[in-house]
Amino acid sequence: MSIQNLNTRDPFADAIKGNDDDIQDGLVHIRIQQRNGRKTLTTVQGLSAEYDLKKIVRSCKKEFACNGTVIEHPEYGEVLQLQGDQRENICQWLTKVGLAKPDQLKVHGF
Amino acid sequence: MDAEDGFDPTLLKKKKKKKTTFDLDAALGLDDGKKEEPKDDEADDTATAEVEDNLDLESFGKKKKKKKKPFNLDELENALPGEGDDIANIVATEEPEEEEINLDMDFSMAKKKKKSKKKDLDELFADKLEDERNEDKENFEGNTTTWAGSDRDYTYDELLKRVFEIILDKNPDMAAGRKPKFVMRPPQVLRVGTKKTSFANFMDIAKTLHRLPKHLLDFLLAELGTSGSMDGNQQLIIKGRFQPKQIENVLRRYIKEYVTCHTCRSPETILQKDTRLFFLQCESCGSRCSVASIKSGFQAVTGKRAAIRAKTT
Repeated sequence: MSIQNLNTRDPFADAIKGNDDDIQDGLVHIRIQQRNGRKTLTTVQGLSAEYDLKKIVRSCKKEFACNGTVIEHPEYGEVLQLQGDQRENICQWLTKVGLAKPDQLKVHGF
Repeated sequence: MDAEDGFDPTLLKKKKKKKTTFDLDAALGLDDGKKEEPKDDEADDTATAEVEDNLDLESFGKKKKKKKKPFNLDELENALPGEGDDIANIVATEEPEEEEINLDMDFSMAKKKKKSKKKDLDELFADKLEDERNEDKENFEGNTTTWAGSDRDYTYDELLKRVFEIILDKNPDMAAGRKPKFVMRPPQVLRVGTKKTSFANFMDIAKTLHRLPKHLLDFLLAELGTSGSMDGNQQLIIKGRFQPKQIENVLRRYIKEYVTCHTCRSPETILQKDTRLFFLQCESCGSRCSVASIKSGFQAVTGKRAAIRAKTT
């Protein structure tokens, strides 16, 4: 039987764990919007503010061969906006690069 | 056999006596074994298992009867011409019939008596052994567990299988369909003009799901990232072009999130609003959990910016 008070406890356990991987907290919402004709927009909302969204969008544009911007929104913070239906692409890319885990991604739309 | 026939009266009697003794032992032993094993099971298990065991016992009885009656008839027919002593046979035949009315123990006795008339003692023993083996097998089959008598540790798979069998025995409804089927008519989605889509049986679907049309409407519009409204004749007009397949996908997601219970997956649920939060109350399992509120989230500007600017100013 061990006495609970005498157990050594690392006070920095949480901090160490947090530094490792879990910068992304909460869900990343990936949505699609229809524009005129068969054109669409993909928005990525909820990426952690600690990431540099401008760099992300730059590499996304290159990877998916599409245009995109970062939009500042008063309520939702910075939101990625990409042209075309990039839902599949962005999901794969985010998990591959390690910015978010697959269970943190939430894909909306049809 | 000839020699036996010569000594008939005495031998028969002797045999009978011998057999009765043997059979009694065997029968008692067998029956004891049978009774003991289920008892052990019952002791181990809860009330759920008792039902099962009782059923098994009944089935044993049935099996025995079925097996033994044909034997009796055949042997009787064979015995009559084969052995000269009609009287003895008649006596012998009458006895088992009387006994048949009695308990299960007597069945085994009767069976063995008749067999023994034709066969030698050695054969008798062999038969007994065989019978015992058969009945052991029956026991095992009845318990559906090969480890009933053994001391070894049970593997997880075995225990899991056993639990599921008991569950299925107790709830026959579940056995019929593992997941209760949720039948829904497919959404009727038509194009209206070039830019709008009509969802004709929207009200029907909302009704079959037992959800407020408004709630479903909110969800659909938020997911599709468009605007829309109800028509005069109760159909939904959505802005944008959508295929029935796409609408079906969204409906599927709605059902998963807001209709089926998150614990037992039954569709018999009620959606209640409690202090600004939606709660899903399950009718079948009684669980209650909050569900995510419908948020459309960030909406990018897709229309003409000039028009928006003109509106705001």
